[in-house]
Amino acid sequence: MSRRALGLAVFVGALGLWEAWARGRPTFLVPPASAVLERAWEVWPTGDFLGAVGASLGRLAVGFLIGATAGLAVGLAMGASTRVRRLLEPLVDLARSLPPIALLPVAIVAFGVGDGMRIAVIAVGLSFPILLGALDGVRAVPPETRDTAALLRLGAAERTLRVYLPAALPSIAAGVRVAAPIGLVLIVISELTGEGEGVGRYIVFQQSQFNVPEVYGGILFLGLLGFALNALLALAERRLLSWHDGATGAAR
Amino acid sequence: MRLVRRPNVAGWLFVAFVAVAAEAAVRLLDLHDSVPTPSATLRALGDEVRSGALPAELATTLESYVVGFGLAVVLGVGLGVALGASRLLRDASSVTVEFLRPIPGVAIIPLAMLAFGLGEPMRRFVIAYAALWPILVHTAAAVRGIDSRLHDVARTNGVAGSSGLVRVSLPAAIPGIATGIRVSASIALLVAVTVEFVTGTDGLGAYMQQQQLAFRLPELYAAVVVVGLLGYAVNVGLRALERRAVPWSGEQRAALM
Repeated sequence: MSRRALGLAVFVGALGLWEAWARGRPTFLVPPASAVLERAWEVWPTGDFLGAVGASLGRLAVGFLIGATAGLAVGLAMGASTRVRRLLEPLVDLARSLPPIALLPVAIVAFGVGDGMRIAVIAVGLSFPILLGALDGVRAVPPETRDTAALLRLGAAERTLRVYLPAALPSIAAGVRVAAPIGLVLIVISELTGEGEGVGRYIVFQQSQFNVPEVYGGILFLGLLGFALNALLALAERRLLSWHDGATGAAR
Repeated sequence: MRLVRRPNVAGWLFVAFVAVAAEAAVRLLDLHDSVPTPSATLRALGDEVRSGALPAELATTLESYVVGFGLAVVLGVGLGVALGASRLLRDASSVTVEFLRPIPGVAIIPLAMLAFGLGEPMRRFVIAYAALWPILVHTAAAVRGIDSRLHDVARTNGVAGSSGLVRVSLPAAIPGIATGIRVSASIALLVAVTVEFVTGTDGLGAYMQQQQLAFRLPELYAAVVVVGLLGYAVNVGLRALERRAVPWSGEQRAALM
């Protein structure tokens, strides 16, 4: 049996066991796998559910753009100058140690319970992996390259944008890969309370109605979303960064 | 390369400067409705620590955190070593692990609440579940990635089988395991506080939620400071532990190269 087939067989076997166990002793808490899939099949194509998915992904995209821009700017500045790095390091270390859930009540107080609050939580949470990716990437620029840039008398801005940024791209891409699963977590966290729609709201609402198969379905959807996001980013990274030596080296 | 770490005076002065700037901004722009001043936050922090409220919530959070995270470490390292050492187990579990791993840990909180109620067992379960995956995956990859020459040397010296696993594979995999543990530690803390925020009964998360609902901003921010310091202590502590346990890996290795 091929390696993949064995893994698949075990997975299907586990699903079968779940099905048999749930059918053998029907409980409210563990619906059969088939019931979960059946409900997912019915619910996922509906406008309500797709609208919720779109709302979550839209906020994720906007939050990512804001957070990544800020993280990139600070990370590049910290990488390009030792002085800036020493100055900002304790502040950044403190800020990134704060679990994003602590941002939620803070953002609610400042922005209310709507989209602004959610986007703020996502933006802050996603800025740190990008910041660290940019910082590590610039710090790894070989001294010869730095010396050459200095020799060419490139200004700070030009040096950062034309030398450090391209050199740091694989590391920034790695930061984006790290950010993707965090983004899913932030979707859930930012939708724990408040109004409006979203996948997180969907799960919370179905749970409050004790619709157990729907709760399983929502969690399953997030897992598939995470899987798809990761695959998409891996593909984009291979396509966009194939010119970079570091990309092929880092691809293992 | 700098072996002795100088205290970063400029950096900490900058933290103080940001606090003073925030104080001025809140006062001058009259933002009291959405942000408390740092001085009011410090006062609230002092009061809440002296009254015993915050220490009690902190103890509750720490208890579920330590137990849940400890469970994840034991299970994650154990399962990870098994998966890393056996190709059969690795192949058999591959699809199942790939399926379960991307599910965000916080997403299973609503389900766990239905299954286990709001008490301590539910919290420990959710924390352990969320923290398990990074440890498991890093451990398996580290055990699997051990230089095969190491095993050859061990075999020629008569070390094989389970003693080889303990005396060769495990030490060689420690840097990878340490990375997994460090990643999981932040996830576990996040989930620990989130669970409390959702259930709203006790712990730092519940305390934050209650202060937010009551609109007691200095107290809310005081709790945020405590959670942040806890996260900072976990990060710094684990990094120091890692440097001690595996002086040849990570930052140190990069610095030596």
